Amino acid sequence: MGDVLVSARGLEVHFPVRGGGKGGGVLRAVDGVDLDVLRGETLGLVGESGCGKSTLGNALLRLVPPTGGTVTFDGTDVTSLDRRGLKEMRRRAGMVFQDPFASLDPRRTVAQTVSEPLEVHGLRSGRRERAARVAELLELVGLDPAVAGRYPHEFSGGQRQRVGIARALAGEPDFLVCDEAIASLDVSVQAQVLNLLRRLQRQLGLTLLFVSHDLSAVRHISDRIAVMYLGRIVEIGPAAAVGADPQMPYTQALLSAVPVPHPAKERARERIVLRGDVPSPSAVPSGCRFRTRCPYVFEPCDDVDPALQPAGAPGQLAACHLHGVEGTPVTETPEGVTADP
Amino acid sequence: MSIQPTPGPPPGQGRGGDRPPETPEEPPGGAPQREAGPAAPTLRPARPRWRETLSLLAHNPTAAIASVLLLLIVVVAFFDDTLAPQGANEISVADRLQPPSWEHPFGTDDLGRDILSRVILGASVSLRVGFLAVGFALVVGTLIGLLAGYYGRWVDDVLMRFMDMLFAFPAVLLAIAVLAVRGPGSGNTALAIGIVYTPIFARVTRASVLGVREEVYVRASRSVGASDWRILTRHILPNAAPPIIVQTSISLAFAVLAEAALSFLGLGTQPPNPSWGLMLAEGRGFIELAWWLAFFPGMAIFLTVLCFNLLGDGLRDVLDPRQRTQMAGSSRAAATETGGEA
Ligand SMILES: Nc1ncnc2c1ncn2[C@@H]1O[C@H](COP(=O)(O)OP(=O)(O)OP(=O)(O)O)[C@@H](O)[C@H]1O
Ligand code: SF4
Ligand SMILES: [Mg+2]
Repeated sequence: MGDVLVSARGLEVHFPVRGGGKGGGVLRAVDGVDLDVLRGETLGLVGESGCGKSTLGNALLRLVPPTGGTVTFDGTDVTSLDRRGLKEMRRRAGMVFQDPFASLDPRRTVAQTVSEPLEVHGLRSGRRERAARVAELLELVGLDPAVAGRYPHEFSGGQRQRVGIARALAGEPDFLVCDEAIASLDVSVQAQVLNLLRRLQRQLGLTLLFVSHDLSAVRHISDRIAVMYLGRIVEIGPAAAVGADPQMPYTQALLSAVPVPHPAKERARERIVLRGDVPSPSAVPSGCRFRTRCPYVFEPCDDVDPALQPAGAPGQLAACHLHGVEGTPVTETPEGVTADP
Repeated sequence: MSIQPTPGPPPGQGRGGDRPPETPEEPPGGAPQREAGPAAPTLRPARPRWRETLSLLAHNPTAAIASVLLLLIVVVAFFDDTLAPQGANEISVADRLQPPSWEHPFGTDDLGRDILSRVILGASVSLRVGFLAVGFALVVGTLIGLLAGYYGRWVDDVLMRFMDMLFAFPAVLLAIAVLAVRGPGSGNTALAIGIVYTPIFARVTRASVLGVREEVYVRASRSVGASDWRILTRHILPNAAPPIIVQTSISLAFAVLAEAALSFLGLGTQPPNPSWGLMLAEGRGFIELAWWLAFFPGMAIFLTVLCFNLLGDGLRDVLDPRQRTQMAGSSRAAATETGGEA
């Protein structure tokens, strides 16, 4: 623990958008993300729908090509890997997808799906060894190995998600991105799959990036939490600190929307209702990207893009001028920045 | 109907003793870590999709009849030498232009050749040309459509503009051009028809691939390190196949018809080889005098083309994505209903 397994620096994923002038605009799905995922930790990544969580998770695995910045995986630069290096990296880093009904090829049996990484990486030679390994993996995720010959449509959502997890684990990865891995499951099943992931994480020493739009779901299983807003990490820190004493107004608003399971506290709970909607990622506000909705907005917020800086508990970082105006001027506002009037 | 697999948890499984201590959040012992077995036993065994398709097809009367007839035609074409009562070119001047009789069920032509024998022997010519042509178009067109649809960008532009050019040519003109360059004969006829149908397969395949390419399971396969080739052959092609299969059947109908048309025009199969189109052309002059010369080869063309079309329609019904989704939807519903995870 302690050392960095996956690291992003200034990571950008911009998509070209049609319309809006001759040159067309860009949609900044991920816009300058700095993030370290520590070996062995579970890092929760939360944020509203459309803030770029999935794109970030995909970009870390180079499933979406970054348009700027770097990603390093265990010390090697992912963005400049050759074909062979990329393949090895994909063995070491897996992904569990949100919709278990879409993430399994309907024309392939469970065994074929789970053994694909084995075949791709030549991890087990011979049919029999692969079949044995598939059985092992199915058992690991709590499925009867006898179901190996069946097709995905014969399974329930929770069972399918277990198959997806088995596939992700087949290459014996170090790092697993779980992109809303339980969000589309029945509530009763969610806890089971969540517990399965936690057990696997401990048992196999995995590093987990657990993506969710639900802060309360992530709070209990994460060691640290990162909060994303409009393509940027706006707060990160120990789960207890971020979950109890957030330092960034956006996180505070997210948290205030979470009901507290305690009647007195629930009544006393102050709700911070944000004004307006999330701006479009193709028109990110200048300065602090949260300023259009922030209840505390003050002058530097319009022009200066706040950088992550220590705030609150040890290890907690927030991108907000309330913790001192030390941000870097944004390129979009070249007409002089008065950071400290 | 339950489509649930039954993973009955063997004792001690899933929470094996050799595993590290469980977290307090995990329910102790009782609530199984292993997916609980579904309530109902499995009634439907796992079976591959193509067998499912065949059984669905068997329940579609028109498609079933068409398949049987086609099978019959193919068998006749295959054993034509054994089945034909006479050789294709056994001339008997004494038996010229005989109407259908016990001796010559389809009658004889102006050279006294047995028309039944020529129709049987012509079946293999027509079908061979049809299968060769569609085989060519299927292989080349599907490959082009796969690459264009999967890689997109300039690959797509270059390949599909080329296909558009071929497609813009009137089919008969294109075939005539190919035959003018390479000379007549059934092999070249097949090639000409194959080239004409290649853009159709390319388009159908490309359209289908564009849909499948975005599927999450394709990304999932990429996420575990699968190569483009593996993704194309193991995931995209099988899932993009249904419209291609339907197109194959329908194209076979048109190819048989095209072979007949080209032979009718004197560009395809050359006399004295039997070909349905050629026989039609030869019988045309006698249509008032001896209708059977043109009638029986015409019926053979009609029946074969009709059957391929009906089979194509049946396949479309069976492989139709909407119908598939409905089926998948119902089984999905069943799966969640009986889902044992609760
Ligand atoms: N391939 C793409 N092309 C263009 N825009 C994209 C693409 N993928 C994502 N986007 C856009 O990028 C933004 C971020 O999308 P992303 O899926 O990463 O968000 P998310 O936080 O995962 O949301 P959700 O909670 O809905 O999954 C969205 O506005 C989305 O429309
Ligand atoms: S920087 Fe300003 S606008 Fe942004 S969160 Fe802090 S106070 Fe609000
Ligand atoms: Mg997402």
